Amino acid sequence: MIRAALVVLGSATLGGVVLAAGALAAGALAAGALADVTGDREIGRQLAGQCRTCHGLDGYAQLPIAPHIGGEPESYIRAQLTAFRDGSREHEIMSIVTSSLSDEQIAGLAAWYAGHEVTVELEADPAAAPAACVACHGADGLHVFEDAPNLAGETNIYIDTQLKAFRSGKRVHEVMTPIAAALTDEEIRAAADWYAAVQIDIDLVE
Amino acid sequence: MISKRLVPGLLLGTMLATPVSAQDNIEKLTSMQRTDATFTFVEQEGDRAAALRDIIQYINVPDGFEVSLYAVVPDARSMAVAPQGTVTFVGTRKDKVWSVVDRDRNRVADEVMDFAPSITFDIPNGPCFSRDGFLYIAERNRVLVFPAAEFFFEGPDPAVGVVVPEGELIPEEEESFNHTARVCRVGPDGKLYISLGQPYNVQPVEKHEMYDELGIGGIIRIDTDGSNREVYTRGIRNSVGHDFNPENGDLWFTDNQVDGMGDDIPPGELNRQTEAGQHFGFPWTNARVEIPDYKNVPRPEGVEFIEPQLELTAHAADLGMRFYRHSSFPERYHGGIFWAQHGSWNRTTPVGARVMFTALDENGDATDAEIFADGWLNEETGEYRGRPMDIAFLPDGSMLVSDDFAGAIWRIAYNPPPAE
Repeated sequence: MIRAALVVLGSATLGGVVLAAGALAAGALAAGALADVTGDREIGRQLAGQCRTCHGLDGYAQLPIAPHIGGEPESYIRAQLTAFRDGSREHEIMSIVTSSLSDEQIAGLAAWYAGHEVTVELEADPAAAPAACVACHGADGLHVFEDAPNLAGETNIYIDTQLKAFRSGKRVHEVMTPIAAALTDEEIRAAADWYAAVQIDIDLVE
Repeated sequence: MISKRLVPGLLLGTMLATPVSAQDNIEKLTSMQRTDATFTFVEQEGDRAAALRDIIQYINVPDGFEVSLYAVVPDARSMAVAPQGTVTFVGTRKDKVWSVVDRDRNRVADEVMDFAPSITFDIPNGPCFSRDGFLYIAERNRVLVFPAAEFFFEGPDPAVGVVVPEGELIPEEEESFNHTARVCRVGPDGKLYISLGQPYNVQPVEKHEMYDELGIGGIIRIDTDGSNREVYTRGIRNSVGHDFNPENGDLWFTDNQVDGMGDDIPPGELNRQTEAGQHFGFPWTNARVEIPDYKNVPRPEGVEFIEPQLELTAHAADLGMRFYRHSSFPERYHGGIFWAQHGSWNRTTPVGARVMFTALDENGDATDAEIFADGWLNEETGEYRGRPMDIAFLPDGSMLVSDDFAGAIWRIAYNPPPAE
């Protein structure tokens, strides 16, 4: 695993607060990675045939309504698929496709999609990144914590829609709910635009 | 996961970038003031265009028809050809409306740039024109009007008015991303007809009455100033294409059917509405297939469900449609309906990604669905080369097909070889 956080920590421009956040992130990741190596990627690859029209076989989204999921934290994919299946998160399409998945199949899909290699490239000055988001999602939209999704290169409307869902209570998360509650429409769109502008590339890993 | 950052940077930013408020810009534009917005242009030559032209060899059309690439247009969705035909406005499911310009009338776009870059759009899927040249744009939860858009599109700050303010098309808590691609048409009565998909696969039972009252899962009709809102069409799931029969004013629309009931049911729908307020059965039925969730929910009293004119291949996703009002196609197409099938998303064997046609009989009913153009689906691998989304016609009667997967507008013209 090539950890972005380590690269960032090597930067001479960082202050003490940032270093502390980075160390916390590295700790959380190490623990998460150990707990997550259970899914069977072969099961996931076969099931991904049902996902690829929207998410691609490598997890690079094929249409604006779908997020990029290639290289996403395995635990995040697993948590979301489980939430769709259990009804705690709802979506016109995802609620249907997850309804018949077993835990083993969900683990397989999470392992398949998490296993691809994602590369992001931020052209803007990272100092201008949305402050409310960077601690978990990074300035460039690459997750810092296991439970946080990558946001790099997502359609701005996708991020906008999710933030509004957290704000209205339609989608619930212990960290995101209070953060979104404090955001105006303009702040939501600015954060969405920031991450949408990051270049993302996903290489399929068999 | 394996992840790399190419540009290392600070983890902590300073603050949210303060955006220019969209509301402020609308206020500026309505009082004819300038903003500092600039255009984004889409490259029309180069590798992208060449890759798109390479797809043309796979597209099948009837004898005498010819396919070409009209324009490179990212995320191209519903289209509105301006009255003079110089510019076609193309919606997206993102934040752009594209102006596709063919100044020299060689039937290939010279320039593609974003329309009204000073405005922050939100899923501006549905542009439509009134006969007197007002461009309406239906977004996820707002409707704007641009007077004389065909002339003002050249500048970044066109005149704009608000028809339905943000948050008043549907309650904000009913917003979603999917099923919020609005389609708009100006009817024979000069009013706006806007489709409102309902944001579920099947709406929860406790919401169906509220949705029916608001026209969510229906088509609403409003005056062009936003007043006198009525629910014109009831009992739809998620319609993303409608048009009026120029012969008699009937409203026709496609509808997308419930997922999760199997590969082959329920069928797709092409519907004909002859009177205001007719009910098309959803969420109790999709065509003649009963929806299990609503088996024990009482149906609305005194209402007869209208059955579709055509039952179509399940899950092919029938979207944008348009009557053929022109004359350059052979006579059998005159007065008929063309529509786009976007293609299925999780059917075991993918189906769709093609342009369909039906003629109408002397009673104004659809005769039968036939394939007009296909080949955007690679049937060997099940992969899409493109996904047709909407149909429009240039003043010369040739067809434009928008494709939000390939990011293109295709043109299909009737150019039979000269007789020997």
